[in-house]
Amino acid sequence: MSTPALELSGLKKSFGKAEIIRGIDLSIGKAERHAIIGPNGAGKSTLFNLITARFAPTAGTVKLHGENLAGLEPYQINRKGLSRSFQITNIFPKMSVFENVRCALLWSQGYKYSFWNLVSRSRLLTEGADAILEQINLLERRDLPAGTLSYAEQRALEIGITIAGGADVIMLDEPTAGMSNTETDYITDLILKVTAGKTLIMVEHDMGVVFGLADRISVLVYGEIIATGAPADVRADPKVQEAYLGAALEAEH
Amino acid sequence: MNDQITTDPSKPAQRMRAGSLTLTLAPWIISAVFLAILPQIFTNNSTLTIMNQMSITIVFALAYNMLLGQGGMLSFGHAVYAGVGGFAAMHIMNMSDFFASIPLVVLPVFAGLFGMGLAMIVGSFSTRGAGTVFAMISLGVGELIAACSVIIVAFFGGEGGVSGDRTYAQPFFGVEFLQQIEVYYLTAAWVIISAALMYLWSRTPVGRMANAVRDNPERAEFLGYSARWVRFYSFVASGFFAGVSGGLFAINYEILTEENLNTASSGVILLVTFLGGVGYFFGPIIGAIVFTLLQTVLSLSTELWAIYAGSLFLATVMFFPGGFAGLIMMHVAPFKLGKLRLLIMPYIKTLIPAAIGILGLAALVEMTFHVRHAAAGDNEMTLFWTTFDSHSLIAWAIAGAVTLIGLGIARVTAPSLKEAWDEANTAGGAS
Repeated sequence: MSTPALELSGLKKSFGKAEIIRGIDLSIGKAERHAIIGPNGAGKSTLFNLITARFAPTAGTVKLHGENLAGLEPYQINRKGLSRSFQITNIFPKMSVFENVRCALLWSQGYKYSFWNLVSRSRLLTEGADAILEQINLLERRDLPAGTLSYAEQRALEIGITIAGGADVIMLDEPTAGMSNTETDYITDLILKVTAGKTLIMVEHDMGVVFGLADRISVLVYGEIIATGAPADVRADPKVQEAYLGAALEAEH
Repeated sequence: MNDQITTDPSKPAQRMRAGSLTLTLAPWIISAVFLAILPQIFTNNSTLTIMNQMSITIVFALAYNMLLGQGGMLSFGHAVYAGVGGFAAMHIMNMSDFFASIPLVVLPVFAGLFGMGLAMIVGSFSTRGAGTVFAMISLGVGELIAACSVIIVAFFGGEGGVSGDRTYAQPFFGVEFLQQIEVYYLTAAWVIISAALMYLWSRTPVGRMANAVRDNPERAEFLGYSARWVRFYSFVASGFFAGVSGGLFAINYEILTEENLNTASSGVILLVTFLGGVGYFFGPIIGAIVFTLLQTVLSLSTELWAIYAGSLFLATVMFFPGGFAGLIMMHVAPFKLGKLRLLIMPYIKTLIPAAIGILGLAALVEMTFHVRHAAAGDNEMTLFWTTFDSHSLIAWAIAGAVTLIGLGIARVTAPSLKEAWDEANTAGGAS
């Protein structure tokens, strides 16, 4: 645990006069599973977008394995070993399920922008993509257009695409949003399986998933982290209960 | 993950690959043989000219589809790259010393390089996005270069264009390309080579990522690929093959004018590609063949061919956005289910009356045109091998009745065709 996998310091983001993220300091260690929770509009997705350079921060820094990511494009950050999924399913709908995963493997297998290799000739690509499909249980859907899959399957595919490139920091934005209980259990198991040994940062609303998965939890309210710690500590924190958790837990029971 | 790879040797995948290799090679061999024997069937020069025209359009349309279909970039000025490649080829033809030292068959490579060079310059700023901005830049650049053609006379030759003589090239195994048939084989060889290369391109990592960027540029960025660079490479490759088509045009016609790179030509290639179908690799090939036939054969029999081509385009956009290729591929599912024959009778019952009705409609259009535009007193016109008086009521009544009855029957039988179609696309049942 020398350098943290991801380190945020003084991160701020304003849209015009509206301050969405008001100064976040957070350090996430290697192989830690970290959940970010908070009420709607707390800025969870914005925080994700800041880390992955979808938005530029107003102030502060993001460090991946000790390296400052300022000024890098999303694709450059991805090449450094950070991969993310999206809150709204974000796959390649017209391409087959297999193609979706294969595309996610291309860069990490060193193909870059080459036009002198044929993708179908590479056993490593085909077998790697099939191995991922097996992990996410979509081998039977291999040749269907991704857009025709069920919602849960598309979410699973998205997780597959996210992990395929072999990134060691995985960020999942509400992976179980809009799912039934069985689907949620299925995705939770899947996440546990595919992120073993990797750093996982996830935004999640489902408290069952959060407490089942996370090593540590951060609670984000109005652009600030009001508590960070082990699930039990966070659950016991009076500030958290007041701001968010109490209401959510009550709603669940 | 490694042990999974060894415990899962995916033998089916390998078998499939071996099978798909013969499957993918077959169309190419058949096409090559077909192109080789075609001149034995159609021997006259005018047919050869039409076939050459077709080949040039095929290369251009395939190049265009690298952008539109595979990269999701709508260009309104792609004729510029073909045109500039063609002009460059003409100038090389006119550099007598250099031209005499190269065989004519490699001239399209030079044309392609010029098209590619221009695409690199334009692509460096136009490929930032794929949407409206890209379309507008392509239109602007297209207009700009078309306007340059009357300003930079040294390169574009002004209104007269640039002409040359292909026979001054170094003889290629004794062939000097004096005859049309020799040019035909040169063009045919280039079509096969270009089409094969463009197909292979679509199977490479950058070609696959072009599809990914088309579908979802943001996701592609989070896979380590810059959407902009992927678009740039597609654009440059497309510029190369567009240039090749321009070079083939230069060889065939030995003259290039402003017409080769104006916006109208850019529009035509969009139309051709869309007509054939942007969703499949072979779509633009069908589009190029159909459009060239309309343009050459139909224009021999009627001055109004553009109306029919336009109507066909409109009908395609509105009812079959997949184009001809999409229409063909729609039948793969019934074929796999073994239910294709269920469709034969309903097709006959609906499509034949519809075709007759459309011909009747075309007759009405032609008669109107004749009444309005023929010289006064010239009432005689010939349509469908029949000569009649275009002012007579009987002729109008017949054409009108044919139209109404034809389209009427088609309308009545259409629901049963729809039913048969649904049945043919459902698994199970007797087959």
